[in-house]
Amino acid sequence: MQPLNITLVAGSIGAGKTTWIQQQVHTTAETAIYLSLDAGETAVDSTYLAAEVPGLTVLSAVQLANFLEHPTDGCVVYLELGFHIDLNSIILPDPMADCRRVAVLPPGTRHTEWHGWADVVVTGSEASITLRQPHLWRSALSGQVLDSASLNTFWCELTNGAYGTIQRAKGIFDVADGRSLYFDFVAGLPETTDMELNLPRWLNGRPDRFSGIEIVGEALDQTAIAQTLKDCCLDEQAIAYYQQQIKDLIKQQGEEVA
Amino acid sequence: MKVAVMSCIHGNYEALNAVLSDIDDHKADKIYCLGDLVGYGPHPNAVVEMIRALDIPTCQGCWDEDIVEGLNSCECSYPSVLAEKRGKLAHDWTNQVIHPEVREFLAQLPLSLRDENLCFVHGSPHNQHEYLLPEVDAFVAMERVLATGADILFCGHTHVPYVRSLDAGQLQIRVKSTGTTERDISFSAPLKRIVNAGSVGEPRHGRPNATYVIYDTDADQITLREVEYDYQKTCAAIIDNGLPPIFAWRLARGLEFAERADDPTHVCER
Amino acid sequence: MNDWAILSGIEGNLAAYEAVLADIKRLRQPVEELYILGDVIAPTVESEQVIQRVRSPQQNEPVPQVCQGWWEEQLLILHGLGRTGEPTELIERYGIEMVKTLWDAIPREMVEWVRSLDFGLFELDCLLIHGSSVSVSDELTPDTPAIQMLDRLMRMDANTLFCGRSGLTFQYEIQQGTVTSSMTTLDRSTSPQAIAVKPRQVVGVGNVGRLPGQASYALYHPNSNQVEFRTVRYGAGKGFQPASP
Repeated sequence: MQPLNITLVAGSIGAGKTTWIQQQVHTTAETAIYLSLDAGETAVDSTYLAAEVPGLTVLSAVQLANFLEHPTDGCVVYLELGFHIDLNSIILPDPMADCRRVAVLPPGTRHTEWHGWADVVVTGSEASITLRQPHLWRSALSGQVLDSASLNTFWCELTNGAYGTIQRAKGIFDVADGRSLYFDFVAGLPETTDMELNLPRWLNGRPDRFSGIEIVGEALDQTAIAQTLKDCCLDEQAIAYYQQQIKDLIKQQGEEVA
Repeated sequence: MKVAVMSCIHGNYEALNAVLSDIDDHKADKIYCLGDLVGYGPHPNAVVEMIRALDIPTCQGCWDEDIVEGLNSCECSYPSVLAEKRGKLAHDWTNQVIHPEVREFLAQLPLSLRDENLCFVHGSPHNQHEYLLPEVDAFVAMERVLATGADILFCGHTHVPYVRSLDAGQLQIRVKSTGTTERDISFSAPLKRIVNAGSVGEPRHGRPNATYVIYDTDADQITLREVEYDYQKTCAAIIDNGLPPIFAWRLARGLEFAERADDPTHVCER
Repeated sequence: MNDWAILSGIEGNLAAYEAVLADIKRLRQPVEELYILGDVIAPTVESEQVIQRVRSPQQNEPVPQVCQGWWEEQLLILHGLGRTGEPTELIERYGIEMVKTLWDAIPREMVEWVRSLDFGLFELDCLLIHGSSVSVSDELTPDTPAIQMLDRLMRMDANTLFCGRSGLTFQYEIQQGTVTSSMTTLDRSTSPQAIAVKPRQVVGVGNVGRLPGQASYALYHPNSNQVEFRTVRYGAGKGFQPASP
């Protein structure tokens, strides 16, 4: 049996870990597997990659354990490590001990603990701000449907500092017309990435798929963030109304629906 | 003679004081106010008392009407569900703190005011809720002024000041009617102007400063005035009084708190 | 594209409506669309039959598209379904007794149908409506100020506004016009720009049922943007013969 081809990917906030992994997967012909080790209940990166990278399998931690017992030959595995995970205290299962360690870091960084840990350092995006005490806040929103205009207002307020200094914000949101949207903000980059994920429209009641938000920042007003997100959510009546409108429109145009 | 026109104070007492000071510095002879004295801001009673004390002729704004009637603002002004919720909070808060005599005062405000060839309204001559945006079709804008019979129409409601001149308007018409011969009609109009006085208390032009206008009748000149003031005091009062704190953040950036004038072709049915 | 027939003000006059339908069938050019701009009813019992007839076109008749008129709006107000609460206009024009007359004339089952009608219709670049988009009571006539006519057209960005409130047949063409507009804001000024009006028109489509024995309506040819008015005489003793096609 061949040794498993596993790469651990770590790095600072917003340096581009997920982007680098996405690039690697595109260039490889082999089957690719992705796992995010810190996801908890929010799975923004996993959901994003699963939707956007055809042929990529996304696993949860439990599924990884199963996979390691019966690994497929010729598979490459990428394991992303969140910024707050203590690199020295990770205990990897035996089959994974012999893995490649990659750190994705902004240009010009030297002598960080990543440098000591990594086999390879990849240069990623510029860091514009560095927070002394970055705080991670996240919330799952699965099952919620948001009003697009409200979401845009909230996102604009969030990324312009209304709820604290934001270094990184990313989210996946289900909106009224059934689409799943991916928002990605890195402090210093002028534009938020916002795009529709390659997923079918959800037009039958509350969506049964992941949506949620992850924020890294300082002095976060968590109550206000949570309340504003709540105020962006539509009630059952509104959800039903908009979904029906879209269904009628689609019937006229003959598209496909989830 | 100099006529100062202000609008949309929205309970922002600090801003009102700064504007009155500026009006004083410019030695205006008359002051008119286009309504929306209350709503969104932390000092609605103080604002109304000041206007009454100075006996400033005022016409009724859409928020003034809503507070009197207990209604909520026309939902077509809210660009999102979030904005609508914030607007409702502002309405409920204002409704709770307004003194009865202030409510009575707002109830008796006229819908429009007239001074020689000048007309003063909150939204448009037809409706307190209609936004006369700068992009409105020139002929529609012309109709609004002509409907008042005045030469200059002063309006507010959009919270972004402008002066629009409409000159040499003319139309050629042909009418055919059963039982009469065809006839040609010519229409023409002299110079007409629409002046939006902006907003004293909730500016939406991207800066927190209060805006109002001065019309010099002798020089026939209209000046848009932008007045700095200590808006942080208003921000603090917003938070201290339990209004949505996001209003303070938005005031500091000259952004609308909730309602936004979006569609120049939409005519509110309310 | 085939022609449109546009009617208004049947006002419960079944014979008049039948006469117009017969006239339409005799026309050389086939009529593809039939629009009825409100006032199908009047405070008369016969209105119910007219509603039934409008809702049951025969095989060789176009299916009418109907919008609300002044009488329909008054009826909805009486039933608490209107845009305003009190029938003030109704009482002002016709006296308080009219409230009961109207209420009694139109059975409840018909009210749902009235309620389902659109306020106005928009086809191609034409607005078809009883009064105007301002209200059902907005009466546009050849004497309405030009700038007001233009405003009513611009509110919906329509090139043609077909209306029926006045009961008159007329064609009011705004052929050309200009105004010079300039703008000053806090941060910039634009220099004066001449803005031209594109040709638009308001068309009064006449009235079908008010005048006994004589109905008027409009024909519109969308391809050529031509408007034609038709007067139909009907009723016993008028020696009315179908004109040869």
